[in-house]
Amino acid sequence: MRLAFNDDQQMFNAALDQMLGAEASEFRTVAEWGRWDYGTALDATLTENGFFDAAREETLGPVAAAELVMRIAARPVVVECAASALLLPLLDMDLPRPCAVIDGEARVVRFAPEARSVIWLGDRPRAALLPDSAVTPGETIFAFPVGAIDTGALDWRDLAPDPAMVRARWQVALAAELVGALTGGLESVLTHVRDRQQFGRPLGSFQAVQHRLAADAVQLDSARWMVLRAAQTGGTGDAALALGHAQNAALRMIYDLHQFMGAMGLTLEHPLHRFTYRAKMLRTALGGPSAALRAFADNYWGVS
Amino acid sequence: MEFAWTEQDRTHRARIRALLASALPADWQVIARHGPGSREQTLFSLSFCPQLAEAGLLVPHWPREWGGQGGTVWEHFILGEEMWAAGEPRGPQYMNVNWIGPVLMQFGSEAQKARYLPPMAQGRAIWCQGFSEPGAGSDLGSLRTRADRDGDTYVLNGQKIWTSYAGMAETCFLLVRIGGEKAGKAGIAVFLVPMDSPGIEVRAIPSLIGHGDIHEVFFTDVRVPASARLGEPGQGWTIISAALANERVGIPRYALARQVLDDMVGLLQARAGFADPVVRLRAAEAAAACDAARLLVYAVIDARARGIAAEASTARLAVIAADNAVNDFGMEFLPECYHGDGHPALLAHHERAIVTGIAAGAAEIQLNLVAQRRLALPKGA
Ligand SMILES: Cc1cc2nc3c(=O)[nH]c(=O)nc-3n(C[C@H](O)[C@H](O)[C@H](O)COP(=O)(O)OP(=O)(O)OC[C@H]3O[C@@H](n4cnc5c(N)ncnc54)[C@H](O)[C@@H]3O)c2cc1C
Repeated sequence: MRLAFNDDQQMFNAALDQMLGAEASEFRTVAEWGRWDYGTALDATLTENGFFDAAREETLGPVAAAELVMRIAARPVVVECAASALLLPLLDMDLPRPCAVIDGEARVVRFAPEARSVIWLGDRPRAALLPDSAVTPGETIFAFPVGAIDTGALDWRDLAPDPAMVRARWQVALAAELVGALTGGLESVLTHVRDRQQFGRPLGSFQAVQHRLAADAVQLDSARWMVLRAAQTGGTGDAALALGHAQNAALRMIYDLHQFMGAMGLTLEHPLHRFTYRAKMLRTALGGPSAALRAFADNYWGVS
Repeated sequence: MEFAWTEQDRTHRARIRALLASALPADWQVIARHGPGSREQTLFSLSFCPQLAEAGLLVPHWPREWGGQGGTVWEHFILGEEMWAAGEPRGPQYMNVNWIGPVLMQFGSEAQKARYLPPMAQGRAIWCQGFSEPGAGSDLGSLRTRADRDGDTYVLNGQKIWTSYAGMAETCFLLVRIGGEKAGKAGIAVFLVPMDSPGIEVRAIPSLIGHGDIHEVFFTDVRVPASARLGEPGQGWTIISAALANERVGIPRYALARQVLDDMVGLLQARAGFADPVVRLRAAEAAAACDAARLLVYAVIDARARGIAAEASTARLAVIAADNAVNDFGMEFLPECYHGDGHPALLAHHERAIVTGIAAGAAEIQLNLVAQRRLALPKGA
């Protein structure tokens, strides 16, 4: 049991934080009531500097990759990172990123309009290059670029790794992205309740506010550890638990975050909605918390 | 980062399990039914702890000078995990091992250490913790039991309440207010008080949480020598903080909760009650709560092993949630197990679970601490 990042991982995190702190990943409103802002500049910097290859490096590994996803997802700009950091390095083929993942209906796929490759999960995981012509951009309230993918138009190749292993890795990736989004939301609300004064004192000094945010922080911290553990062990039970626990925690937390932000949190001029709406979508991924947790139960105790 | 145990830790755990397997009698579940403070379990601890000491497994993390082997933080922790999962056969003596002994080593006089540490390391010392009072629970700093100096002695007067193990304890780790000193935390001192001192009266309080666990303790003109005082004047609150820090993550309660959850699932499977997807979901949620607690506690222990004092309230809150999630699961899907005495493990866990959010700092106090220390929110009014 050794729960600290190693020296290489610490350096990796520090370098990453520098890039994430750059102006290009700050919050800006988007014209015409846009709900998301793809971090094109951030995406390019991270790619150029090889951050998405972490999982392939022995001293960094999936732990650093999961941490990368959590930290990127905590920024107001959105960058495709979960598949790039955790799925692509698992495959035996060299696919370009950004990478979209079909893990439900092909009708609404996150990142489809930005992606240059696509992975289709299921009993027979497959991958393909994704030309623009195969994507129809869509509309969503969920603060991600989404689009429909014409799966019939693509040249699919089967993936070599075991489908259960690919699925487990994707569960970890989604859990990491969800934990990141919730972390970004919590940080923005903490800043707000420390500063905002009502009744002559900061909102964050009221115990009713403190206790709910503290309870949320407990859930979030534990979800974060579960993600790191699942990334490190590669266990299917650990992966299901990490996703189910994070998805379960998200519901109450999203409610609390919006409550304490008041009316400001309902505007497009504050970044909170970016985090909470991403979290709302990720919360339902792969069937949502009940699917993940029942899968854990089956895995651990057997079916009946 | 590595979530697997080292070879050394696995061997250590296996040794503890082997010892438990041979030392616990067939009717252990019945002995353990009424909790660490019960007469049965306290008496059992007086034969079990010497065996642990003999095997070098009572105080392995203590320095050699006091009977330990200078073991690692993790070795000590694994020991606690296994003992709690087994229903705490050390009875009240876990307190000696976890915090009373270490606090005496840090703050005690040579005479105090020589008198109290060897019996603890041999497994034959029963202590109680006299902190709470009728008027001072969460707000411990407002305690009123007083110690007044009279020549070479102090005279103690006042009342403690909720004192676990007081019925059979030989010594009390007692918090008092020194008469005449400034009010507030600065006036608090610690005394090591023999429980057979004239003027001490102990009354058991009938409760939901185990036979003979909690007591009222009355002090009427109890005389103790000045040498019974622990630490230097003004050091009282520092000593308490050190004690509480060790106490708060001292008990790995999720270890028993997780084990009892497996027992519950086994019972349900035996009667085909685990096919319902809702039941499976709820079991998995309880397992997730146990794992959440385990990981957050491990993070605190890991920091400690690296010499960093980590905030422990986040972990405590997850531990409270875990105990309750498992208990709620059992009471909802196996209600019949809480009648009669056919399921001592579930009943014993139930009694521990209803305590978790109250003893050793209520859940709401932990939430205050997380808000202020972990989230840097401004102190409440
Ligand atoms: C089984 C058991 C064993 C115990 N053993 C011992 C022992 O051996 N020695 C000993 O000294 N004590 C012992 N205690 C006492 C324990 O430490 C106290 O119960 C605890 O500190 C809480 O104090 P209280 O019960 O007086 O509750 P109170 O302080 O009256 O609080 C009641 C409730 O009010 C709320 N509350 C209190 N303060 C705040 C606040 N600031 N903000 C928000 N909410 C608040 C919390 O919900 C709390 O649970 C034991 C208790 C139990 C249940």
